[in-house]
Amino acid sequence: MNLHFTDAELAFRAEVREWVQANLPADIAHKVRHALRMNKDDLQRWARILGTKGWHGWAWPTQFGGPGWNAIQRHLFEEECALACAPRIVPFGPVMVAPVIMAFGTPEQQQRFLPGIMSGEVWWSQGYSEPGSGSDLASLKCRAERQGDKYIVNGQKTWTTLGQYGDWIFCLVRTSSEGKPQTGISFLLIDMKSPGVTVKPIVMLDGEHEVNEVWFDNVEVPAENLIGEENKGWTYAKHLLSHERTNIADVNRAKRELERLKRVAKAEGLMDDARFRDQIALCEVDVVALEMMVLRVLSGERTGKQPLDVAGLLKIRGSELQQRYAELMMLAGGPLTLPHIHEAMEAGWQGDQWLGGAWLGGASHAIPLTGNYLNARKTTIYGGSNEVQRNIVAQTVLG
Amino acid sequence: MDFDFSEDQEALRDAVRRFVDKDYSFERRSQIVRAGGFDRAAWGGLAGLGLTALAVPEAHGGLGFGAVEAMVVMEELGRGLVMEPLAQGALIAPAVLSQAPHELQAAWLPRIAGGEALVVLAHQEARSRYRLNRVATRAVDGRLTGVKSLVPAGDVADAFIVPARVAGADDAPHGVALYLVERSAAGVHTRPYALYDGSRAAEVHFDNTPAHLIAGPDQGLMLLELAADIGIAAQAAEAIGVMEKYLALTVEYMNTRKQFGVVISSFQALRHRIADVKMQLELARSMSYYATLRLGDVPAVRRRALSQAKVQLGNSMRFVGQQCTQLHGGIGVTDEYAGSHYFKRLTAMEMQWGDTLHHLGEVSQGMQDTAGVFA
Repeated sequence: MNLHFTDAELAFRAEVREWVQANLPADIAHKVRHALRMNKDDLQRWARILGTKGWHGWAWPTQFGGPGWNAIQRHLFEEECALACAPRIVPFGPVMVAPVIMAFGTPEQQQRFLPGIMSGEVWWSQGYSEPGSGSDLASLKCRAERQGDKYIVNGQKTWTTLGQYGDWIFCLVRTSSEGKPQTGISFLLIDMKSPGVTVKPIVMLDGEHEVNEVWFDNVEVPAENLIGEENKGWTYAKHLLSHERTNIADVNRAKRELERLKRVAKAEGLMDDARFRDQIALCEVDVVALEMMVLRVLSGERTGKQPLDVAGLLKIRGSELQQRYAELMMLAGGPLTLPHIHEAMEAGWQGDQWLGGAWLGGASHAIPLTGNYLNARKTTIYGGSNEVQRNIVAQTVLG
Repeated sequence: MDFDFSEDQEALRDAVRRFVDKDYSFERRSQIVRAGGFDRAAWGGLAGLGLTALAVPEAHGGLGFGAVEAMVVMEELGRGLVMEPLAQGALIAPAVLSQAPHELQAAWLPRIAGGEALVVLAHQEARSRYRLNRVATRAVDGRLTGVKSLVPAGDVADAFIVPARVAGADDAPHGVALYLVERSAAGVHTRPYALYDGSRAAEVHFDNTPAHLIAGPDQGLMLLELAADIGIAAQAAEAIGVMEKYLALTVEYMNTRKQFGVVISSFQALRHRIADVKMQLELARSMSYYATLRLGDVPAVRRRALSQAKVQLGNSMRFVGQQCTQLHGGIGVTDEYAGSHYFKRLTAMEMQWGDTLHHLGEVSQGMQDTAGVFA
């Protein structure tokens, strides 16, 4: 038992750090550091830069053009990116659909789709949830009917994150009503430029347009876009979920945001207030405990001895912690986090420069913090609500 | 970075678990509680396993094992609610005495290793709460006068490691030295009592008692802080064992107990509570590892890590203890049932080596700009 990384791992970290520092555009890092609004160009620019290096699919094996890193290397890469204030890599392409295409797609599908994901050129969206199918995802109704060499898709997906930028969407669609709900679901890749696809914005409680409804009205999808076998999509989707292990906890971002919380608190003079400071200290203990839990899982992945069935625990804890520091940051910012200034957001949230501190009594570091708090309420709801996660955890303990 | 136990460590775990299962059943433990909370034969059993030699350097007849082995042992003792103060006698005392003058080392470490001598730390005073530097006991010309409380097995221990003040006011930051005092020395009086967790402790009075210097005021407090941190790490490991066993008892109960015609483990409100208990247990285990793996670091890093661990452990112990008791219903609050004893042990542990708020204050005071395991 040993807490420290090996020399080889430290050298790997140094290499990643050097590369990220040299290649992460300063304007993008600035936005991340101050939690300013990111636009499509910011996100895709970074994706393309990573793609050039072959790191956009950082968890991919070498046979598909990835770096073939082990669990610890992947963790170190994610950590270095987070601490350097790189944007979180939009996961739908490289993390979510790519592993399914690798595991269950044909060689033709792999050659057709994977390069565009690695390069960051093609933006993928996720089509899982429906208005009537949230936690009970298997009840989904969006239908795909086979007609000759194509499927005709009708129905609606929702909560499609950043779907307004999407080129392609991977969907779970119903191809059969026979048997159990899970057995009639297929995994279909759909070109979002197809006639009959409509993307409608959903404005969230923070006033931001982050998620969408995606409507399908007699959309024709070539049958060659089906992944694997018809009616086996549920199995493939579950495989995908198993790929979301440690990064679901987002502990590296938590560390970065905790640093930011301290900066905001310091600017507001709250680091001298024991009542508030102790709340940050509690957050700090939570971050260390969560990081240790993540490291335990990584160690287990390397040695094949996995002592802990943790995906649910990491999701619950990581999301609760995200909400907690967003809450503390808002409270640290105080009442001047309340103004909701559209023009400032349109200008790209460049609070410090754009407002020059003049509008809000110099509290520009605090401007988006209420919005961030409101936005963070989603974290315990998405990706399997925390209540569903508790069901899963309880199952492992109680049977 | 590696959190697996070696084969030798797993073998050690198995040996301690077998001992606890065989020689420290709940019935046996209840007898020991009724007899005062310390059992010579049980202590002999621990020594027979080699556990009293665990941390004693090989040069003094010990095994010279490290903190991870200590953690493994403490987890298993926790599962069985073993009350004999092994962390005190076999982890803290050897660590402190290894820094003592050679003649003291030679006189005591081999006897500790062999289980013939029980040496415990006598640091708690009525007014010191959790401040290690707050010491009213005085040392004048190598003779101690003062009163220490809650000394583990204080009326049966062979000697005490005693912080005493050689200079300054009671709460001055400097001026604390460490002494070794034999219980048989002149002017030592002990008054034993039971604690709520069933273990045995004592008030120990020193009245102009002759003492051997372990470390002078330049090193005394630093060594006492190290002793406390070893205590925290050992306790964290013990708490993992206690919580793990209490959760197992609770799961067994929930899968057996029927109400409204079904086992109560079928109720979602209770299932979610178990998920939360499991969460607190795993967070605590993560911090127990962290505490143990940071014990060898420089004092500033070590102290911060151990305080962080104690905060997590404090919160986890309270949550797990309270919820597992609640999930048992009425039987959970009876003396007859083993579960309540696990709860009482968890309760007592919070107030040893500094409670959650105390250590939260320490973490808060020492916060840096960065955070995390390697910050």
